[in-house]
Amino acid sequence: MLDILTLFLFNIIVYNIPLLYGTTGEIMIEKSGSLNLGVEGTMAIGAVVGYLAGARTGSLLAACLVAFIASGVVGLLFAFLTVTLQANQNVTGLTITTFGVAFYYFIGNAVANSAAGWPSLIDTKLGSKTQAIEIPLLSKIPFIGKILFSHMILVYVGIIIAVLMWFYFKKTVPGLKLRAIGENPAAADSLGVNVALYKYVHIIIGSGIMGIGGLYMGLNLGGTYEGSNCWINGYGWISIALVIFANWSPAKAILGTVVFGFFNTLTVKYADLAYAFPSALGWLNKIPSHFFSALPFIITLIVLIASSLSKKKKSGEPQAIGRNYYREDR
Amino acid sequence: MEYAIELKGITKSFGPVAANKNINLALAKGEILALLGENGSGKTTLMNMLSGIYMPDSGSIFIDGKKVEINSPEDSGKLGIGMVHQHFKLVERFTALENIQIGMRDDGRFVHGKDVRKKIEDTAAKFGFDIDLDKVVANMAVSEKQTLEILKVLCYGAKIIILDEPTAVLTVQEIDKLFAVLRKMRDEGHSIIIITHKLNEVMAISDRVTILRHGEYIDTVVTKETNEKTLTELMVGRKITLNIDRPLIEKTHPLLEIRDLTIKNDEGAVAIDHINFYIRGGELLGVAGIAGSGQKELCEAIAGLRKIESGQMIHEGESIVGMSPKKILEHGISMSFIPEDRLGMGLAPSLSITDNMILKNYNEATGPFVDRKSAREEAQKVIDKLEVVTPSTETPVRRLSGGNVQKVLLGREIKSGPNVLITAYPVRGLDINSSYTIYNILNEEKKKGTGILFVGEDLDVMLALCDKIMVICHGRLQGVVNSDHTTKEEIGLMMTGTLNIVNKEGKTDGIAKDSAITDEEGKA
Amino acid sequence: MRKYHLVRRADAKLKRTLLYYAIGILASLLIGAVILAVLGVNPLEYFGKMFTIGLVGNKYGYRQIEGLLKNFVPLLITSVALSLSFKMRFWNIGGEGEFLAGAIAASIVAFQVTGLPNFVTVLLMCLAAMISSGLIGVAVAALKVKFNTNETLMTLMINYIMLYVIKYIGETKADWNFFLQEESDRPIFGTFPQSAFMGSIPIGKFSLLWSVIIAVALTVIIYVYLKYTKHGYEISVVGDSSATAKYAGMSVGKIVLRTMFISSALIGLAAALAVSSAGTISDSITNDVGWTGIIVAWLSKLNIPAVFVTSFLIEVLQYGCQIAASQYPAIDSNYANLLQGIILFSVLVADFVANFRVVRKEDAKNA
Repeated sequence: MLDILTLFLFNIIVYNIPLLYGTTGEIMIEKSGSLNLGVEGTMAIGAVVGYLAGARTGSLLAACLVAFIASGVVGLLFAFLTVTLQANQNVTGLTITTFGVAFYYFIGNAVANSAAGWPSLIDTKLGSKTQAIEIPLLSKIPFIGKILFSHMILVYVGIIIAVLMWFYFKKTVPGLKLRAIGENPAAADSLGVNVALYKYVHIIIGSGIMGIGGLYMGLNLGGTYEGSNCWINGYGWISIALVIFANWSPAKAILGTVVFGFFNTLTVKYADLAYAFPSALGWLNKIPSHFFSALPFIITLIVLIASSLSKKKKSGEPQAIGRNYYREDR
Repeated sequence: MEYAIELKGITKSFGPVAANKNINLALAKGEILALLGENGSGKTTLMNMLSGIYMPDSGSIFIDGKKVEINSPEDSGKLGIGMVHQHFKLVERFTALENIQIGMRDDGRFVHGKDVRKKIEDTAAKFGFDIDLDKVVANMAVSEKQTLEILKVLCYGAKIIILDEPTAVLTVQEIDKLFAVLRKMRDEGHSIIIITHKLNEVMAISDRVTILRHGEYIDTVVTKETNEKTLTELMVGRKITLNIDRPLIEKTHPLLEIRDLTIKNDEGAVAIDHINFYIRGGELLGVAGIAGSGQKELCEAIAGLRKIESGQMIHEGESIVGMSPKKILEHGISMSFIPEDRLGMGLAPSLSITDNMILKNYNEATGPFVDRKSAREEAQKVIDKLEVVTPSTETPVRRLSGGNVQKVLLGREIKSGPNVLITAYPVRGLDINSSYTIYNILNEEKKKGTGILFVGEDLDVMLALCDKIMVICHGRLQGVVNSDHTTKEEIGLMMTGTLNIVNKEGKTDGIAKDSAITDEEGKA
Repeated sequence: MRKYHLVRRADAKLKRTLLYYAIGILASLLIGAVILAVLGVNPLEYFGKMFTIGLVGNKYGYRQIEGLLKNFVPLLITSVALSLSFKMRFWNIGGEGEFLAGAIAASIVAFQVTGLPNFVTVLLMCLAAMISSGLIGVAVAALKVKFNTNETLMTLMINYIMLYVIKYIGETKADWNFFLQEESDRPIFGTFPQSAFMGSIPIGKFSLLWSVIIAVALTVIIYVYLKYTKHGYEISVVGDSSATAKYAGMSVGKIVLRTMFISSALIGLAAALAVSSAGTISDSITNDVGWTGIIVAWLSKLNIPAVFVTSFLIEVLQYGCQIAASQYPAIDSNYANLLQGIILFSVLVADFVANFRVVRKEDAKNA
C-alpha cells in the first residue's frame, strides 16, 4: 500500500517535470513582456530534433544542446517576427504551435518511414544515460528518498533551472532590467536598457528551456514514436496555464508543477490509489478521470478571474504583456 | 566659455510637421539654462534628441566640444546626459531602489547590494534628498516620484541634467526645495537645462534663458539683464497684425454656465480648481493658458467624459452634471479636442471620412442600416466647403494630412448644429491658410448664434478672434478680459500666474449677472 | 553609427501589400518544394495533386468536392465569426471550445429530440448550439468588460476544458450516456437518427449539402452586417479606438457583449452544421478550425470576402494534402500544417515590408 503511494508521489515528479521546463521557459519570455502561445510547438521541435541528435551521438548532453538550440531557433523566429517586425504575438505564437507540431510529425514520419527506421531508446547509448541517478545518502531516506532523490538527471536540472531563474529575476541586475521591460518598456528604454536585445536573448533562452522539456518528455516516454500521438500532448498549453497559476514566479512554478502534476498523475493512477486505500480514497473511482485532466485548466481559469477581481495589484503579470514596443510611437 | 552642450542647426520633422527648425543652443558648464517657449514650440522634442528618444534629421550635437551622435538613450547616458521627463519614466511596481538600479552601469550584478544602496544613500545625502529607498513607486506622491527621478540621474553620474517642466506638478514649498537642490547641483559642477513656462521661476533659478517659438530659435539672454516683460515678448512674439475677422453679434442669454467647478486629472491631482464662467449665444470665448493648465480636463468634463469633483455645469437652465456623453450631445453641446498627436480624440483614424462624419449621429437613421448615402453627401459638402484635400470621401482619416483631419473633425461638429461649440486647439499644427479657413468656420457659427469656447495657443490669434478671453493658470481662473481692452503682455502675465484680476475692482468675474438660474437653484 | 532607420509608412497601398503577399506565398511554396525534393518527391507532381485535390482523372471526383465542402463550411463560418470579434480587438481564441460546446448541444438535440421533421430537427440543433456557444462568449466578454480579465487566456482555458468534456462523454460507458452506441461494448459515438442529418440538393451525381448554402449566405450576411449596419459600424469604431467610441456616446460594454455573443453563436452554428453533416460527433469534430480560423482571419486582415477566399485556399491545401498523402507515403497530411505555418511566417514578413520602410538617416526628413 505504501509502495503505491510512494510510486504515486514519485510519478508526480517523473511525469510532470516537462511542465516545469515549459513553465519556466514561458515565464522568462512573458517577463520580457511577450506572450508566446507557441510553447507546444516549440517543445515539439526541441523534442524531436534533440532526441534524434541524442540517439545518433549517444550523448545526453548533445541531445540537450541540440534540443536547446533547435527550440532557441524557434524563439529567434518569434523574436524576429514580434520584436523586430512588430507582428501580432498571438498569431505568431499560434502559428509556431501549428508549425512546430506539424514539424514534429513530419520529421518523425520521415525518419520512421526511412530505411533505418525510428531509433529506439534502448538500442542506443542514449538509453543508458537516462537512468535514474540515486543521490548518495539522500536517496536512502525511506519513502522521501525514492520520491525526491532517485531521478534522471534532467529532473534535477529542471529544478535547478527554476531556482536559478528565481534568483536571476529577484536578485540580479539583468533580471531586474528584464522585469522592468515587461512592466514598462519605455521606462527601461529611457534608462539605456537595450529593450530589443533583452527581449531577443530571453525569448531565445526561454524557448531553449522549453526544448529541453520536450526532449525529457520524449525520453520519459521511452523514445517510442507514434505517428498519431505527439509526445508533448498538450503539456505546452498546460504550461501556459501554469504560468498564471504560478503568478509568474519560477519558484512558485515548482509548487505549481507538483499541484498540476498531482491532478495529471491522478488522471492515470487514481484507480491504484482507490484500490490501495479503499476506505479513504475509494470515492476516487466515482470521479471520471477526465475531470482530473480538466482540473488544471479549471483552476487556472478561476485563478485568472479571481486575480482580476482583486483590486490589489499584487499580481505578477507583467503590465506590458502582449504589446509590442516601438520607441518612436507617440 | 567652454560648453557642456552645443546644438548646431538641429532640425526634426514628424511627417509634414517641422517640430524643430535649425535650432542652436549652448549650455555652459556649471550653469542653469532655462528653455522657455509656449506649448508646441518644440522644447521637449529638442531635449528628446539629447536623451536619445528621437534622432535629428539634420544638425550636429557637441558634448564638451566633441561632435557626438546620440542614437539611443544608452548613448545619451554614456555621454553623461540625464533627463527627467515630464511624464515620469518609472516602473510603478518597483521600489525606489530597484528603479534606480535598472539604469545603473557597471555597478554590481546583484540587486540590493550593500554598496549600491550606500552609494545611492550618499548621493541622496549629498544633495539633501529625503527618500525612502524601499518604498514602492505606486505608493509615492508626485513630488516623491520626481525626487526619485532626479536622484536617479544623479546616481548615474550625469553631469548634464535636463528637467522637462519639473515644477508643473509641485506645490510652492516643493518648488523652493527643488530649486535649492538645483542650485546645489550647479555648485557641484553640474550643468542643468530646465524647461518651464513660468517666468517667475525662470527669473529665480536660471543663469541664462534660451527662447524658442514655433519650433524656431529666437534668442538667448542673460537672466540678470532681462525682465519678465521682455521674456514674455520674446516667448509670444511681437504683435503682428492679423486680418482675422471678428464680427460683432448681438449676444443672447448665457447658454452654458460653469460654477465653482473642480475636476481632477488622471493622476488624481486637481486640474481645474473652482472655476466660474459662462458662454452666451453669439459669443466666442477664448481660453488661454500654459499647456496642461487643465484645458483638457475642462473640455472632457463638459462633454461628459470626465467626472467632476464638485460644482455645477448648467446648459440652458438644465444641469448636465452626471449626464452621459450621448445625452449631452443631444442637448446641443459639441466638443472637439485636437490632442498633441492630433488624432486621438473624436475621430476613428482607420475609418473613412464618410464614416467619421456620422460618428455622433449614425443612430438617427431609421432601420438597422447606417445611412451612408447622406453621410457621403455630407462628407462631400464638408470637403467642398472647407476645402479638404483628399482623394475621395472614402479615404481613411489617418491618411489625411493634419490640417485636413482637423477640418473634417470641425466640419462634423458644426454640421450637427450645436448651440454650444467647444473646440480645443483646432488650428494645432496648421498652416496659415488652413487656419484661416477654421477661423472663418468659427465666425460663421458665431453668426448663427452659437456660443463658442475656443481653447487656443496663439495669443495673437486669440486677441483677434475672441470676444473675451478667460485665462487660467494651474487650473485656477486668473480673470476674464475683453479682447479690446487688454494686451498680450497682460494675458501673458496672467498665464504665468504673475497677475490675477479675479475679484478685482469689486466685480466677480465669470458669473453671469443675467443668469436665469440662481446659485441656490443650480445646487438643487 | 547607425545609418539606417525604420520608419512606419504613412500609407499602405493595397496593390503593394498584395504584391508582397504574393511574393511571400510564392517563397513559402518554394520552401515547401525544396522540402519535398529533399524527401525525394517531385514537387510539381505533388503540388499538382494537392491543388487539384485529386480531381484530375478521377471518376469519383465529385466525392472529393463533397468532402472538401464538408470541411470548408465549418472553417469558413468560424473564420468569419472570429473576424467579427478580432475586428473589435477582442482576442477570442476560444474557437475550439465554443465549437465543441455547440457540437455537444446540437448532438443532444439530435439524439433526444426525435419524431420531428428533418428541417425542424436541424433547426433546433442549430439553435441549441448557438445559444450554448453564445453564452460562453457572453460570459467571457462580461468578465472582460467588467473586470478586464485577460480574454486570450480565458478562452484558451475554455478550449481545454471543453476538450475534456467531450472526451468524457465519448469515453464513458453509462446508462445516461445517450451519445454512445448501445450495441457496442467499447465506447463509440453513435450515429444520429436520420431526422438529424443535414439535407442536400442532388445535382446529378453530386449532392450539395444545405450547409454549404447556409455558410455562403451567412458570409454574405456578415459582410453586410459589418459593412452596412449600425452594429457593424459600432464594431469598427470600438475596434479602432474605444476612447472615440465613448466620446461618440456609444456604450462600449454593450457592444462588446453583443458582438461576442454573435461571434461565438456563429461558431456554435458552424459546429451544428458540422455534426449534422457528419451525422455524428467526435472529439476531433473541430478539425482544428478554432485554430486555423485565427490564422485565416489574420491572413485576410479581417476582410470578409478575403476570409472567404483564404479559408477556401487553406482548405484546398489541407484537403489536398490528405488526398495526396494516400499516394505519397513519405509525405503525410502534416505537410499541410507545415506549409501553412511557413506561409503565415512569410506573410507576416511581407506585412512588415508593406508597412515599414528602411530609410537612410540623411533621407529621414523626407519620410
